[in-house]
Amino acid sequence: MKAVVIVEDDPDIQSLIETIFSMDPRFSVVGLAESAEHALELAQTTQPEIIVLDDRLAGALTGVDAVPQFKEAAPGAKIILFTAHADLQARVVDQPNIDAFLLKTDTGELLPLAQQLTNMLSLL
Amino acid sequence: MTNTETTVRPDAPATPPDDPADAESYAKAILNMLDDVGQEQKRQGDSQRAMLNILEDLATEKTRLESTQKALINMLDDLEVERRKVDKTNIELRELNEAMRSFIATAAHDMRSPLASMVGFSSLLAENWTTLSDEKRLKFVTTIDRQSHNLTWLVNDLLTLSSIEGGMLNTQPEQIVLAEAIRQCLAANGRDTTTVSVSCPPDLVVWTDPVHLGRIIDNYVQNAFKYGEPPVRIEARRRDDASRLSDMVEIRVVDHGTGVPPEFETKLFSKFARADIPSTRNKKGTGLGLSIVRGLAEANGGQAQYQPNAPHGSCFIVLLPTDTGSRPKDERSHR
Repeated sequence: MKAVVIVEDDPDIQSLIETIFSMDPRFSVVGLAESAEHALELAQTTQPEIIVLDDRLAGALTGVDAVPQFKEAAPGAKIILFTAHADLQARVVDQPNIDAFLLKTDTGELLPLAQQLTNMLSLL
Repeated sequence: MTNTETTVRPDAPATPPDDPADAESYAKAILNMLDDVGQEQKRQGDSQRAMLNILEDLATEKTRLESTQKALINMLDDLEVERRKVDKTNIELRELNEAMRSFIATAAHDMRSPLASMVGFSSLLAENWTTLSDEKRLKFVTTIDRQSHNLTWLVNDLLTLSSIEGGMLNTQPEQIVLAEAIRQCLAANGRDTTTVSVSCPPDLVVWTDPVHLGRIIDNYVQNAFKYGEPPVRIEARRRDDASRLSDMVEIRVVDHGTGVPPEFETKLFSKFARADIPSTRNKKGTGLGLSIVRGLAEANGGQAQYQPNAPHGSCFIVLLPTDTGSRPKDERSHR
């Protein structure tokens, strides 16, 4: 079972991501967080394989700023930056700690992406 | 040899003659000499006058040059003033460009979020209809419905702003009992007098477009909850002062948050304005709301204003006409 932590402050999107992962029984959503601060604690305790991370969150830390801390807290986690900010892609393309970038409107690609990442396929 | 000696004619003896017969020629020579001296003096006088004329001309030229210099200095001062104005305009344009860039990014983000929910949940419904429970289906459809309303609200904001900017806003004013309009507006947005206290005379009437009035009140109340702190209060009264705005109705929406930073107050009703302060930093929004309020208020012959609320918090004000006669004269023909 691949553990997933969802970091998203919009409850509808959070619910959508959770539902998408519930479609594949090999995944299990082990934590939901609205802020990066809370998510870091979750990542530390649950050691997920996948972290679905939004950028603009409820706390003071943005998702992108928190990425190095996520890698420290859960070194084995693959991080998917899942955001509605298209211009972030150019900013994070050189960040090795971010394993994939996906726009929120491309929800249909989220599950296949997570499946590929957990099979150690590099997409960036 | 002196200069005087050079002007004496060669036939003039240096000393008077001893022979009286020569006296006449001596006198002539003297007269000639005096004539020469007179001519020389005249020549020198002419030269002096010419010199004086030249000096006068030089003085005039000097005055003219000084005046030209002053004009040039004034011109340089004017150019410096103009240069500063251009620099200021450039800075303002850069700020506006940055605000526009930030607005487009925010608007795109705010549109993608509801779209993501709508697309995601509708795909889930389409692909898993038979396996989903009724409860799940209802939840997904409800989310799609809510997010489509959010998206509609955002698109309406953009269209309203576009109409205001283009002078195309259609205003259909009518007499409205304000207390009832406030009650309806709060109810339509899931609020009532337990969450927002209202103080408004029951017979107070405004002359404005009812849809615009609803948008103005709702926008102010939403802002109060989003960026301020409760208790939130709406106060309405007819102004009875002696100012140009007497006989207008004043609606105040008051909250008790941190208020607006003084340096941001002048930009508050500008397009895309969002103060970079803790109360706004993580809040979603395009920064169009107050700009729309101002546009709607002005299109209805009113004004939008801000005052800090003592001891802390914000007070957003809209002034609207009580009837057609109370609209400020220069605004009756607005659009």
